[in-house]
Amino acid sequence: MLVTEQDKLRQDIQAWAAEWGNRRECLIPLLQRLQREHHEISDFCMQVIADALEIHPVEVYSVVSFYQFLDERPKGCFVVRLCQTLSCDMQGKARVARQLETDLGIGFGETTKDGKFTLEWAHCIGMCDQGPAMLINETVFTQVTPQLVHDILQVCRQSFGSFSFEGREDLVGARNPSFTGPLTFDAVKPSVGLQAALEKGRREIISEVAESGLKGRGGAGFPTATKWNLAAAARDEKKVIVCNADEGEPGTFKDRVILNRYPKLVFEGMIIAGRAIGAKEGVLYLRQEYTYLREKLEGVLQEMRSRNLLGTAILGREGMDFDIRIRMGAGAYVCGEETALIESLEGQRGEPRNRPPYPVNTGYEGHPTVVNNVETLAWIPCILAKGAKWFASLGTDKSRGLKLFSVSGDCERPGVYEFPWGITVMELLKQIGGENAKAVQIGGASGYIVPASRFIDTIAFEDISTGGSVIVLGPNRDMLQLTRNFLEFFVEESCGQCTPCREGTGKLLDGVRLLEEGKCSMRYLKELCKLGETMRLASKCGLGQSSANAFLSMVEYFPNEIMGRTELIL
Amino acid sequence: MADILVVDDDSSVLDACRLFLEREKHEVRGAFSRGEGMQQIREKMPDLLILDVMMEQPDDGIAMAQQLRQSGFVRPILMLTSVNKVMQLEYGKDADILPVDAFEEKPISPERLISLVNSLLRGKE
Repeated sequence: MLVTEQDKLRQDIQAWAAEWGNRRECLIPLLQRLQREHHEISDFCMQVIADALEIHPVEVYSVVSFYQFLDERPKGCFVVRLCQTLSCDMQGKARVARQLETDLGIGFGETTKDGKFTLEWAHCIGMCDQGPAMLINETVFTQVTPQLVHDILQVCRQSFGSFSFEGREDLVGARNPSFTGPLTFDAVKPSVGLQAALEKGRREIISEVAESGLKGRGGAGFPTATKWNLAAAARDEKKVIVCNADEGEPGTFKDRVILNRYPKLVFEGMIIAGRAIGAKEGVLYLRQEYTYLREKLEGVLQEMRSRNLLGTAILGREGMDFDIRIRMGAGAYVCGEETALIESLEGQRGEPRNRPPYPVNTGYEGHPTVVNNVETLAWIPCILAKGAKWFASLGTDKSRGLKLFSVSGDCERPGVYEFPWGITVMELLKQIGGENAKAVQIGGASGYIVPASRFIDTIAFEDISTGGSVIVLGPNRDMLQLTRNFLEFFVEESCGQCTPCREGTGKLLDGVRLLEEGKCSMRYLKELCKLGETMRLASKCGLGQSSANAFLSMVEYFPNEIMGRTELIL
Repeated sequence: MADILVVDDDSSVLDACRLFLEREKHEVRGAFSRGEGMQQIREKMPDLLILDVMMEQPDDGIAMAQQLRQSGFVRPILMLTSVNKVMQLEYGKDADILPVDAFEEKPISPERLISLVNSLLRGKE
């Protein structure tokens, strides 16, 4: 690099950092901008950034090396990322991958010699109902076929640096779910729930949410009102509401649909949560794969500000101040875990924290922080508008209310559906045209394989618990292939912080490969099952604790599919 | 002599409260959960309530205090908890969200417990 080029780059970086007040928090946005505009994060850049933020360059490198969308190696002008997770795999990802490699003349992880294209794998880009899906820079392409790959790349080749697929739906494909049943969110008018909340005191709002029985819709199912109560009672001048839109669980795309269609409900949910706990600041943590939603969401926020639904003295109420900003993730599944997400917001590697202390007291920058899922927040104005009793009357005793499900895989009508908790797997399959399924993967990669013998079981926190991912597996699906796909995902996404998860996921993946080759003995298979149990108990966060689920449920429910492949050495 | 209800899922706290407060001629009842506590209050209104924070749910004590105040319970509530120490949280009484009359960290010395209870009861009178 010429000295003049270096000087220009240094000036750029210093100016960007200054816009953020040279705070550590700006590290990830700064690196994202650098990657977008200069296509590389070189050692020189890392040193300049480190100087600007007054941190060690190793810290910058540690962040760059952690996130999937950041890379110290030079990237092409067009970064092509093909989704490799299960739903896209089941819809013909392999043929698209071959076409991409042939057309570009490079393998995955490589960049063309002219520096125009980089080809990479992506982990679940949230288009599971319309796979195979891929991203080129920030543009998403769905239902990609080998022929379309060629046409899409031609458009890129003919452009100079930037490209637009405006009006080319024939190439981009659909972004809305292929099928969506009736949703309650359609029936709740914006502002009604917020108005109702503003009429109530803080304690009354929390009581209403408690009475509704709403539990977190991200998967863990922690009572929302309990989280709010703990944050509300914590003492601090500053409190923060974070909306977790880092929807990375393979097979989950409901949050994408909610953000696309009902963003006002989500933002109103954040305002109401802010009022309840006494926060004035809200952050929407949006996964980088959903960058194409950002412009629309910023527009909605701007409109809400102009209508005095955000800002100071909301709707004329003195002291009712609240505003929301959007922060982009950088590609890390583990950041869906609330403490990892907070680390990421602070410009760190997205590694889960030790708990306690809990975010409700010591969260973002040490302040009480409530992290709620997109769907959880969208239900809040509905509950305030329609009443806690309405919500509590639906579902089961321990799982109240309605739930959105992301349905993909071998069924006639994949898409987003709303059902009350307590629906049986068979009832759900009938609604989506998947009665012939041999099994259903519920809860994504971290969930369980539910075999046909358990289709009479209910989907609820007390039975089969899920964050909403439902992948239907037809009669001809190879369960071992499914398990390998999930374990490859976990090997990539493990943050590496704790040993059971870091080492365990790799060992299980090796075991699956041995099973596929027919080289795994019964004794070793039993060892692997013990290892899986240890990972459940000893891993630090939910990712590690659940990463062996698919493997263990495959061994439990589908022994016939692996027995012929094991060496019967006892 | 006062009727005191202690709601705490830790039986040793209950036993200790009973031991020291009964010496002061108070009548002490115990409940191990929010539900049990509410039931006892419905049956007989205590003169003073000693309440833990974290029981079956981490906010059971907070929610119970809110529920009681909302339903018109005006008698003194002493929140006795180790929540600050255990969870490294910082809590204290708050008219709206934590509507209690006193907030004390566990462990509490017998002298302090007795003096707090007596002063809260005098306040009531």
